[in-house]
Amino acid sequence: MRPERVDRLATVIVLSLAGIVGMVVFSLLIYILAMGIPHINWHFLTAEAESFSAGGGIRDQLFNSLYLVVLTLIVSVPLALCAAIYLSEYAPANRWTQGLRLAIEVLSSLPSVVVGLFGYLVFVLQFGFDFSLLAGALALTILNLPILTRSCEDALRQVPYLQRQAGLGLGMSKWRVTTKIVLPAALPGIITGTILSAGRIFGEAAALIYTAGQSSPAINYADWNPFSPTSFLNPLRPAETLAVHIWKVNSEGLVPDARAVSNGSAAVLIITILLFNLIARYAGHRIKQHLTK
Amino acid sequence: MEDLKKRLTQPSIESKQEWFGKLISYLAMILIGGLVGIILIFLTLKGIALFKDNGVGVWHFLSGTDWQPSHHHYGALPMIVTSFSVTVLSGIIALPLALIVAIAITEMLPERVYQYLQPLIELLVGIPSVVYGYLGLTIIVPYLRQVFGGTGFGILAATCVLFLMILPTMTSMTIDSFRAVPQKYRQASIGLGATRWQTISRVIIPSAKNGVLTAMVFGMARAFGEALAVQMVIGNTTVIPKGLMESSATLTSVLTTGIGNTVMGTASNNALWSLALILLVMSLAFNLLMRLSSKKGAR
Amino acid sequence: MQTKTALETKNLQVLYGEKHVAHDINLKFPQNQITALIGASGSGKSTVLRSLNRMNDDFATVKGEINFHGVNINQPKVNVYRVRQQIGMVFQQPTPFPMSIYENVIYGLRLTGEKDRRVLDQRVEESLRQAALWDEVRDQLKASALALSGGQQQRLCIARTLAVRPEIILMDEPTSALDPVSTSQIEDTLVQLKKHLTIIMVTHNMQQASRSADWTAFMHQGHLIEFDKTDTIFMNPHEQKTADYLSGKFG
Repeated sequence: MRPERVDRLATVIVLSLAGIVGMVVFSLLIYILAMGIPHINWHFLTAEAESFSAGGGIRDQLFNSLYLVVLTLIVSVPLALCAAIYLSEYAPANRWTQGLRLAIEVLSSLPSVVVGLFGYLVFVLQFGFDFSLLAGALALTILNLPILTRSCEDALRQVPYLQRQAGLGLGMSKWRVTTKIVLPAALPGIITGTILSAGRIFGEAAALIYTAGQSSPAINYADWNPFSPTSFLNPLRPAETLAVHIWKVNSEGLVPDARAVSNGSAAVLIITILLFNLIARYAGHRIKQHLTK
Repeated sequence: MEDLKKRLTQPSIESKQEWFGKLISYLAMILIGGLVGIILIFLTLKGIALFKDNGVGVWHFLSGTDWQPSHHHYGALPMIVTSFSVTVLSGIIALPLALIVAIAITEMLPERVYQYLQPLIELLVGIPSVVYGYLGLTIIVPYLRQVFGGTGFGILAATCVLFLMILPTMTSMTIDSFRAVPQKYRQASIGLGATRWQTISRVIIPSAKNGVLTAMVFGMARAFGEALAVQMVIGNTTVIPKGLMESSATLTSVLTTGIGNTVMGTASNNALWSLALILLVMSLAFNLLMRLSSKKGAR
Repeated sequence: MQTKTALETKNLQVLYGEKHVAHDINLKFPQNQITALIGASGSGKSTVLRSLNRMNDDFATVKGEINFHGVNINQPKVNVYRVRQQIGMVFQQPTPFPMSIYENVIYGLRLTGEKDRRVLDQRVEESLRQAALWDEVRDQLKASALALSGGQQQRLCIARTLAVRPEIILMDEPTSALDPVSTSQIEDTLVQLKKHLTIIMVTHNMQQASRSADWTAFMHQGHLIEFDKTDTIFMNPHEQKTADYLSGKFG
């Protein structure tokens, strides 16, 4: 066959196959959303989940998911940022640094179920946190650290060396140069990376079923004392998240409207992650604009 | 002058800042390094308890086909076989399709299409695996039941779910490695009279080969470690599968269902930790593989 | 040498890993004078310049002595930050920080904890005047420094360095990224500045060296070949290599 004909044939085949794959994947996405969105209403978002009867909502699960993201970020952002600063600003080029990079890579390749089991072993049993938000947040931190460290390091490395040099030439300490010059310039990247990682941990389930637990005891949203056992802020209470809820309802759930609840929850999950992605883009963009004004 | 000498040799506020900065960034790093060490040590210790304390032979564990913890039969082979089967199958299906979609997007369709599709692919990458599992449960399993009969649960259903889950990630990584091929290669090839397809097949794919390989290993590593999505559709019977429609169980699915139903420290619990150790070792192996495949690219 | 010495190097050597990039450099930089370091690319002149205020600490091994007011500042126990405050540096590319002109100038001062508004205002004006930028920016001190032209940005960077009141300023090809008009403005500025301080600069531009430097050191492949008054170097060099370089035989 002449090359021109092969080219035309290949183009047709590739485009049509890619089109089919795209159509299938996107129709599944649309399907989930279309099945779920009709179930989303004020009642669904604000009612408690039911254990045995239909008509339950996802109020607590949704709140738990969001609260867990916040707790995880509180632990992981400072750690990841400091580690990224070490890697991009201080790390000497030697074996020790290579070993640390390898360690981070190993951390990022751990399956989330393994991280969950480690969390169960150490945080839940050893530290005696029981099934709790705290144990869940620590497990999610392990999952989140490598990704966040990498995106923070990338953001820091994007800042031109000239800027650092100018600061050092004025007699500033490296730490000062990092915090006052490099960090502000890298902020858009760091914030984008953080929000994207938040979206990822928002949907995590495997690491949570044995750390944050699979139950959601009654909580009181008027109780702002984080030490009170029924307070919604108490980090030591067990907390089922939205993703865990979908799994639970489907694998061992006893509610008659499991399909409806899962459809709605799945749609809420996807929409929230979409929001995270959009906010990440928008926030990074806005801060960049603000800085260059 | 003495004053200046002193100023030059004595620590200042900058020295203190520097000391502080070094301290906290080194601490963070030590913490992470230590965490990794502790994870590896803990899981290893727990994982070998079955062999050390309960007297089960390593080889027996790895090659036994009978998994009945309640009767003290600890043969992990069925789960190992199933885990590898679903991983390899989903990887083999996903690779060519990821390649095709990436070629279409980077080499054939206008740049504008990529701009529109990129956020969508990002969203698909970000969709939690539980949702993919749920999709499998509500669409794929009933469909397979209709077509092939039986329950619908099994290896094929798990493969489909994993394929759907890793396809966006692999596609996005493949797109990245195609876009990293310098534009001048394309121009040079077309300048020599090559058609677009010749350019793609002879220049672009070879030069992006390592990136594509890394994408495949990354996707398969994710598939191997995925727990809940698989557990929801695979049927969870711990026998060596004889066909694609057979109900089966992977390392991860057994772990997911088992840990909550066993008591810490018992042999049947230790056996589960040994499965976790296999997972850990495999994820390290995938990591090594990824390093190898991406390093080759740095020629 | 009739004048006092501001900075002196004794057997200064710089190594990047195993690679020797400067051998046994012995130089006495005269006070309140402009000294130019010239030489081909890769002759080690920038490396030597950056070693003088320890900017090379992270990248290279620097051996030998650098004496400043009787203190060898090339020792680990010396406070590098104070050294850099005394021996400032201006780089090839203008590097204003993304903030206002005013904030840029007082950036170094803020580090030392100076808060008194009058002192800061006064220092901004003084530094900008010394850098010959005051008349152009006096009405827009609050505007972003990034809006200035390249030449103005470079003079701003000079002002920023001056604001900490260093005794010596090191300049690494300060005009190579600028147009001819800005270049001559900066050269004029330098001649004015030497009343207050000592300037050591690396330049690729022979005219620049002959126009503005009082002293010139010629380096070749990591060695100091010749160091003398600029007139002597250009009119009457003692070394054949210097003459060859200046007549364009290599470089």
